Amino acid sequence: MLSRVADSLYWMSRYIERAEHTARLIAVKLEAMVEQSREDAESGWGRVIAALSAEQRLKGCTDTAAVVRELVFERLNESSLLSSLSFARENARQVREHLTVEVWENLNRLYLHLQSLDREENWRHNPSHLFRDALQALHALGGVTDSTLSHGEGWYFLEMGRHIERAQLVCRLLNLHFGPTQSIVPNTPTYFDWLVLLKFCSAFEPYCKVYTAAIRPEKIAEFLLFDAEFPHSVRFSIDRVCEALTRVAPAAPPGRRARVERLAGRLKASADFTQIDEVMRGSIARFLAEIADKCEQIHEAVYEAYITYGAETVL
Amino acid sequence: MSSALSFADDAANSPSRAGRAPYGNYRLGPAYDEMFAADGAPRPHYAALCDRLANLPPEELLRRQQACETSFLHQGITFTVYSDKQATERIIPTDLLPRIVTAAEWARIEAGLKQRILALNCFLRDIYSDGRVLKDGLLPRSMIYGSRHYRREMRALPVPHDAYVNVCGTDLVRREDGAFVVLEDNLRVPSGVSYMLANRDVVRRAFPGLFRSQGVRSIDHYPRELLATLRSLTPVREDVSIAVLTPGVFNSAYFEHAFLARQMGVELVEGRDLLVNDNIVYARTTSGLKRIDVIYRRIDDDFIDHLIFREDSSLGVSGLFNAYRAGNVVIANALGTGVADDKAVYSYVPRLIRYYLSEEPILENVETFLCREPKSLSHVLANLDKLVVKAVGESGGYGMLVGPHASKGEREAFAAKLKADPENYIAQPTIQLSTAPTLVDGGVEPRHVDLRPFILHGEKTVLVPGAFTRVALRRGSLVVNSSQGGGSKDTWVLSQ
Repeated sequence: MLSRVADSLYWMSRYIERAEHTARLIAVKLEAMVEQSREDAESGWGRVIAALSAEQRLKGCTDTAAVVRELVFERLNESSLLSSLSFARENARQVREHLTVEVWENLNRLYLHLQSLDREENWRHNPSHLFRDALQALHALGGVTDSTLSHGEGWYFLEMGRHIERAQLVCRLLNLHFGPTQSIVPNTPTYFDWLVLLKFCSAFEPYCKVYTAAIRPEKIAEFLLFDAEFPHSVRFSIDRVCEALTRVAPAAPPGRRARVERLAGRLKASADFTQIDEVMRGSIARFLAEIADKCEQIHEAVYEAYITYGAETVL
Repeated sequence: MSSALSFADDAANSPSRAGRAPYGNYRLGPAYDEMFAADGAPRPHYAALCDRLANLPPEELLRRQQACETSFLHQGITFTVYSDKQATERIIPTDLLPRIVTAAEWARIEAGLKQRILALNCFLRDIYSDGRVLKDGLLPRSMIYGSRHYRREMRALPVPHDAYVNVCGTDLVRREDGAFVVLEDNLRVPSGVSYMLANRDVVRRAFPGLFRSQGVRSIDHYPRELLATLRSLTPVREDVSIAVLTPGVFNSAYFEHAFLARQMGVELVEGRDLLVNDNIVYARTTSGLKRIDVIYRRIDDDFIDHLIFREDSSLGVSGLFNAYRAGNVVIANALGTGVADDKAVYSYVPRLIRYYLSEEPILENVETFLCREPKSLSHVLANLDKLVVKAVGESGGYGMLVGPHASKGEREAFAAKLKADPENYIAQPTIQLSTAPTLVDGGVEPRHVDLRPFILHGEKTVLVPGAFTRVALRRGSLVVNSSQGGGSKDTWVLSQ
């Protein structure tokens, strides 16, 4: 596979994951607000805004419509839903011939639809409905990607992008609930916030199946970090990344793969063999930062080995 | 019997007088109309469509047209218009109503175009080797060696099967008398074939019953034929590695490049994906470097290798031309083909056919005055208001004067340019391109069309029975170029 194509597939997938994360956070938040006091609702936005890296742009803004507009439609905000989708689509367009008609059209339709909503401004009447629809469309896109595209090298680059992004996003979200983030979000999380955290990761029902409806922060952390079977846990994502790494660049010589595989192995070991009480006893913030950092290192190693390598190194 | 037909019988010359939807505004002009004969009766091969349209409620026609446009938008068959920092994507307008060509007409077009591409390839081989045609004085040397599309670098370079032009898109128009004539050959990087295929896809869905009953010939094998043509150009037999070279996602034909690569199952590459080492072309892949044997390039000569051609080009690949010269890679079309499709050489093509093939041309040219000849120049200057004057090396409708539509001032300014540089211009009478039924505001009106079939030429010469029909959507306009407000239509070639 061309290095440029791998690059575009990888980023397309990261941006789609980011878009899905954004849509879910906002959908969950809008639905949760209905049951919250005004103060709680506002501090809840603080977490969402921080999770979506929009603290700077939305400093002091408490108007829900303005926040939603910024997080969803604002083009100048590079992490808004529409920006993420637009980047995903631009990447997809560059590798159009590696995608199926179904994958491209699902992505393109969703983008065009959201863009027209922005122009017409009629999303304001029923915003949570809109985000449920967008989420639905993103899930359909994921399904179509799995069921129409051959699971070859390209698909594994998509898989790698999706899960590197997901692991990092979940780490960031956990940090905002467990870490020392008082400066951003003044209140310590309440029962309700823990519930919302699970929903942010579409984890509420899967969590209850394992731990019953008793909501305990430590169990939530354990579930979202270390559950081996739940698709939005950090460990699950790391597993997927490691598998993808064994499937990409099949003809690359072993020497070229060494660094990537070493880094992936280490990351997998810490996800597989760390226990939650060790993490809770020590600094969870540091643990999360380490995971995010190792993901970043894997990203760089993959680029160096397969994508941006100098031609002189292979001639 | 169709309703339009019966009404047209009482109202000769103008089926519109029938006043029946959807033909209320269908006025026949001096041009040949594809659907209606001069007496207002539908031509036999259009009767079924004519009938079908008359029986569809206007809102149903409109709905199908919209479905067709939405499908293009979703597929991403768009180009981007930039205005006040807002980038909007538009689809290339496509018209729902097919343009129909009979089996007999197609047989003649096919034979004529095969003959033409054969002669043009002989001509290219000749001017890049001994130049026999120039020694024999058939054309002036300066016209060839002075052309900015002549590539000295190509001299004495062998080309597989002597096939310089592997993909050709020739523009045909139908004169008032109903004969198809050649308007221009596109021998460099002709585009539009993806519209031929995409239009078929949506129009077949819009008129499934009509499509089946008409016996329309299939065009879906075009990508396979293109692949076979490209394969035939290389001696490599196993694991042939073929790539489509595109300028990138910002090129207006990018959709087509990606489409063809996907349909052929070959790699789509940009210049930055390729590198040349020791005169061998490689693509950078995740697993390392992979050798490339054939490049179907969709980049102009000038930009293909900045070591040899334009220095400021970043689209191509350094060293590509040397790899080509060394015979390690095939580039299709070959470089330097543009010298044979400029508008001055065009006027010699009938003579070239006689010279190389000893045959009479099957398809005529449009009558052309070469301003380099003093007698023609004075004729052109005296008749500027009746002629279309074109710059020799331009394409896409640029650098031309449409005499009958130009103001006196414009004509005078153009006359000055002509006198200053007559060699750079040719002139042709204004041809009334034929008109075909086109959907306009829910009704059907005649609009001018041309016809661009695609000819593939490698070991064999192949035409897929279809074409890219361009349509001038503005009433009365004769300019069909997509860059100037033209749209496109599906083209149905009937099997009998």
